[in-house]
Amino acid sequence: MAVLQEALPVQDVSFWIRLKNNRNALGFLFMLPAAVMLLVFLTYPLGLGIWLGLTDWKIGRDGVFIGLDNYLWLFDDAVFLLSVFNTFLYTVVASLVKFAVGLWLAMLLNNNLPFKAFLRAIVLLPFIVPTVLSALAFWWIYDSQDSVISWILIEMGLRETTIDFLGDPNNARASVIAANIWRGVPFVAITLLAGLQTISPSLYEAATIDGASEWQRFRFITFPLLTPIIAVVMTFSVLFTFTDFQLIWVMTRGGPINATHLMATLSYQRAIIGGALGEGAAIATAMIPFLLGAILFSYFGLQRRKWQQGGTDD
Amino acid sequence: MTDTAQVRQPERPVVHDEGGMDYLERLPRKVVTVYIPLAIIVFVLLFPFYWMGISTFKTNAELHAYKGIQALWVYEPTLENLRYLLWDTEYPRWVWNTMLVTVTSTFLSIFCAVCAAYSIERLRFTGARYVGMAIFLAYLVPPSILFIPLAIMVFKLGLFDSNLALILTYPTILIPFCTWLLMGYFRSIPYELEECALVDGATRLQILTKIILPLAVPGLISAGIFAFTLSWNEFIYALTFISSAENKTVPVGAITELITFDVYNWGALMAGALLGSLPVAIFYSFFVEHYVSSMTGAVKE
Amino acid sequence: MNKFTRRNVLKSSAGVALGAAVASPAMIYAARAWAQDAPWKPEKGAELRLLRWKRFVQSEGEAFAAAVDAFTKATGVPVRVDSEGFEDLRPKSAVAASIGSGPDIVWTIHADPHLYPDKLIEMTDVAEYLGDKYDGWYPIAEFYSKRGDQWISIPFVFSGNFINYRIAAVQKAGFETVPDNTDDFLKLMQNLQKNGDPGGFALGNASGDGNCWTHWILWSHGGKMVDDDDQVVLNSPEVVAALEYVSELGKTFVPGVASWLDGHNNKAFLQSAVSLTNNGISIYAAAQREGMTEIADDMDHAYYPVGPGGRAMEFHVQFPMMVYKHTKYPNAAKALITWLMEKDQYDAIMQGSVGYLSHPLKAYNDHPVWDEDPKRKVFKDTVHRTIPYSYSGSLGYAASSAFADFIVVNMVAEAAGGVKTPKEAAADAQKRAERYYRI
Repeated sequence: MAVLQEALPVQDVSFWIRLKNNRNALGFLFMLPAAVMLLVFLTYPLGLGIWLGLTDWKIGRDGVFIGLDNYLWLFDDAVFLLSVFNTFLYTVVASLVKFAVGLWLAMLLNNNLPFKAFLRAIVLLPFIVPTVLSALAFWWIYDSQDSVISWILIEMGLRETTIDFLGDPNNARASVIAANIWRGVPFVAITLLAGLQTISPSLYEAATIDGASEWQRFRFITFPLLTPIIAVVMTFSVLFTFTDFQLIWVMTRGGPINATHLMATLSYQRAIIGGALGEGAAIATAMIPFLLGAILFSYFGLQRRKWQQGGTDD
Repeated sequence: MTDTAQVRQPERPVVHDEGGMDYLERLPRKVVTVYIPLAIIVFVLLFPFYWMGISTFKTNAELHAYKGIQALWVYEPTLENLRYLLWDTEYPRWVWNTMLVTVTSTFLSIFCAVCAAYSIERLRFTGARYVGMAIFLAYLVPPSILFIPLAIMVFKLGLFDSNLALILTYPTILIPFCTWLLMGYFRSIPYELEECALVDGATRLQILTKIILPLAVPGLISAGIFAFTLSWNEFIYALTFISSAENKTVPVGAITELITFDVYNWGALMAGALLGSLPVAIFYSFFVEHYVSSMTGAVKE
Repeated sequence: MNKFTRRNVLKSSAGVALGAAVASPAMIYAARAWAQDAPWKPEKGAELRLLRWKRFVQSEGEAFAAAVDAFTKATGVPVRVDSEGFEDLRPKSAVAASIGSGPDIVWTIHADPHLYPDKLIEMTDVAEYLGDKYDGWYPIAEFYSKRGDQWISIPFVFSGNFINYRIAAVQKAGFETVPDNTDDFLKLMQNLQKNGDPGGFALGNASGDGNCWTHWILWSHGGKMVDDDDQVVLNSPEVVAALEYVSELGKTFVPGVASWLDGHNNKAFLQSAVSLTNNGISIYAAAQREGMTEIADDMDHAYYPVGPGGRAMEFHVQFPMMVYKHTKYPNAAKALITWLMEKDQYDAIMQGSVGYLSHPLKAYNDHPVWDEDPKRKVFKDTVHRTIPYSYSGSLGYAASSAFADFIVVNMVAEAAGGVKTPKEAAADAQKRAERYYRI
């Protein structure tokens, strides 16, 4: 009792101590390193890039503000429009296939398998190996004279001549999409696998007892519970695919007559090789609205509902 | 006095890895629906590496004799391609550059990401959610958009053709994902631990270094692996900002130096591809379990 | 028997600082004597950085490095030689011009000095000295290097790009050698294809081989990108005629050419997958070096056929040397360039390049490298037969950007592959080119 009756001395809390304990100030301080890095090397260049797209800067010659001239001309440029088409085709097809195969692979890996850990490790290999180097390997595999795939098919008697992987526009598109899928499936698969592992088997057991078929189990349990993770991984996947540069650059440089030029590779060709920095920046900036759309779509369209986690809806 | 050691350990998300309900499946069926597709997919995923590997050891004659020779195996293995790569090109230098840049930018990014994640997750200052969102939005602006303005900035800052240019620009790619990953990790650490420490008079910094970080080591490792991989993998910034042969990184060097205009040195190219992939693969093989389980932690956001 | 030797004295393919190439004592002695009388004395404490394109022929790289080394030993000016890949050199040198720092001298490609002429120092005095001493410059060399009355670069060498063909295959197709007119050439290609020895030309974004043969096709039929006033004239009957020729020619190509960059035709030729293509002398040099005698003996080089236009209209590549204004040692730079073009060194470089490079100064016309091997004969005439890619307009930013965007190559590829009709291809290319020439 005596303890309680003693008045605690009121300390004169110094500014520094108050600051240290002020959550907002501390929060701000802790954010500072990351914020500085990102502001200086991301936000500022972004603004600079947008501004560059409105000028006619060249390498070797500073430019002047020309307003929307670059964009107006780009909308009239067949090669640019082709690159937009290519980018969409590439992204949509590759993402859909990556999703399908990735989901399937995740479900396969979710089974009781011998050497599970080892399998998962090697499955991730295409993703962690530098893209440029595996692109080199694919370039060699797709060679119009020395391709091993052509060789196998010829040896097996299924074909007479070598396949022109990268010379025919449609073949070239299919080939680069295949290479992209090869590279991206592991990422999707492992992430979805992680998601699958958060689903309690008791749900499946209950459903089976109730007589659900395998397809029904998938449709009513697996898929809905995976939706939030699918949203996240597919957003990343779409982002990476849409802005892909390395794969295309190494294998085709934009392809037989621009058939595999994506916006990113066209931007590089125009800006660095052609010297038209302003125009290249405009092409690059033109990518942003589409990316924004993709993110918003996945955020709102596939948003997690709390009830899936047991809570109430937001 | 509360004993922090007695407080429950950080909650890891419950992982169901026992194989689901496959005790109900019979073996033959399982072979068809699981083993065969799996074998096919794994074969497709690994074949390019096999091809890279044997091409490294083939002589020029064998590489190009596309008629009449068994292409899937090496008949006269040669170390010439590897020798050329390691002795006649700047390859070891590139490995050194890439290592330097990767390790430095990884540490830098992890440092920034830890602070940022802690700030958002724990300190929860006003607007934390929005800042988190903003960081995530940084992914909207990938390297293929930024490389032009960044190139101009790099020139003006006098960093052109130096490793420093890469060390400073790679974190922009690495910080967002690492922050997101660590946010998920920090969230799973019970707040009670911190509260106890706060009551005991610890400063925020002490909490971060003495309590949170040790518990989040798996998350740190995962973020580190991811950062390392992304950084080793990066191409367009290295291509644009670096000029002299001895400053190049492995991906850029392999593409630009091993292709002498008219002549594609396929054997050396494949050797370069193989050797360039090995460090990451080896490094990564030690940590793959962390990588997978950290994804679980992160996606439980 | 494998005549292949690797002389690893010089790691010239990597930008290793000089010291590895050793100039002969005779050369050093000559260099010292030269340095005494040279019109340009290097500044005190001068150091130079020279950026060049990666050498195609090893002996050329070595000869070049030896000559530079002699200069260093004679004048005490250290020179660092860096190599950059063909395609990376041009943006890198543009960047150096733009930021005002980097190498002092660049041995660059095409007519890049005209992209940033204000960033270069004037080389008129060097050009006049060399021209006076060596019987004068060829007109095309002068045209490429001058802006108004001033020389902004020195046209150090040209690189010839001619038809490479397999003798037996061509003879089997009914011709003694590659015909000298385009109509017969088409017949030759068709016969080659029938006999199973098809030809093939690069149609991908190949900045060397692709540009050379596509511009030849265009010009030999009387077409061109711009007229004398820099007006784009791609949408003209001559160009359409050229494209119609190409669409027939394209049918005779080996499959896959649309993806060919500069190295693919080399590889295909050496594998005997094609029997006719266009290239510099590097295929022949590679065949000799690697001991592939059946190919080396069975191949030869020929001029491009002449078209309805009636005269030789070919495009060969220039490799000029330019010096940036930002250099601290302009005299040293001028001295080095002059030294390199003086007889002994230039002779050695010519010899080392085994025909890959050819000369812009008339006095070097009798160099033995051309007579040593009859198969090199056509490359001697490179400078006589080339016209600039800006034909027939002016060299400048527009021409260079249009060139870099592969407008002509794409147009020909579209027609050859049957992707567009000749008229459509010409019209679309016109639109693309107009953007660049609008500036």
